[in-house]
Amino acid sequence: MSLMEGFPHAPGAWTGNLPVTNRYTFGLAGERFFRAIKDEGRIFGTHCPKCNHTYVPDVSFCERCLSELTDWIDVGIVGEVHTFTLLYENYDGSRRETPEIVAFIRFGDGGLVHRLGEVDPNATEIGNQVEAVFKPQSERTGSILDILYFKPLH
Amino acid sequence: MTTKLIKFPGTALGEDDFSKQKVLFNYDELKGDFAWDTGIAIGSYLAGLKAGIILGARCTTCRKIVVPPRLVCEWCYRPMEEVIPLQDTGTVNTFSLCYVTWDMQRVKEPEIPAVIEIDGASPLHGIMHMLGEVDPTKVHIGMRVKAVWRPAAERAGAITDILYFKPIEEK
Repeated sequence: MSLMEGFPHAPGAWTGNLPVTNRYTFGLAGERFFRAIKDEGRIFGTHCPKCNHTYVPDVSFCERCLSELTDWIDVGIVGEVHTFTLLYENYDGSRRETPEIVAFIRFGDGGLVHRLGEVDPNATEIGNQVEAVFKPQSERTGSILDILYFKPLH
Repeated sequence: MTTKLIKFPGTALGEDDFSKQKVLFNYDELKGDFAWDTGIAIGSYLAGLKAGIILGARCTTCRKIVVPPRLVCEWCYRPMEEVIPLQDTGTVNTFSLCYVTWDMQRVKEPEIPAVIEIDGASPLHGIMHMLGEVDPTKVHIGMRVKAVWRPAAERAGAITDILYFKPIEEK
């Protein structure tokens, strides 16, 4: 008797789930950055006077001269579209009617990757000034998604 | 170098810091669904367990009987096409008294994992399982044990269809 003949209904696969969870904390500089977004609706950076370089989001140490940065500055909520892309597909590969616009928005010498909203995809151009639109303060959780999107400044 | 450090730099965080929202954090769950192909031999073994039988495989050349069943003989590399039912009794080959659970919780009553040589298989061939209904101080190598099966209706075709092995009363 072969194995297959003996048990034709032998289970083919063993299924399961790996219970892996994680909690990521943002570190000292990240904590301050997201606190400012959550509590005050402000975007912070740090300035290195030696290199005359402004890091956004804020960092604790200059990556050029390695000195500790203590010069925390509010960079405002208006940035400049440095580059952008129109996404016509969702995560699951399905087609979108209206594109999602993802942009790198320049603040100081750094910037944030985020969505653009309230904007005509055809009118989006590099160099546009865009302003952060925040969630209502009661709904903010200390996440980059506390900013809903950036909208053009008129 | 780190052995000389008395206090490590950085900020230690406890469970309180998260539950009382003293720090901001992202929580994420890995989507870790998997399906493992049991193959023919282990598939039969699991189906056998569901039917309340421990299956082994026999090599006609080496006359070895292994458990769980395999498709290829480990000694002569020939196909092992003969699957045979074994007893659900056996002998403790080795065991351990384990006072911590898998997630490192201390327990008073130890769990007793053991390798059990199954009757009907070749000597020194067995499976790893748990011992139950037994005084931890009385467990010994060479102890005769018998499988305690899950009720047939609840069996799922898994190694846990055997709940544990318990000692056979010596007469």
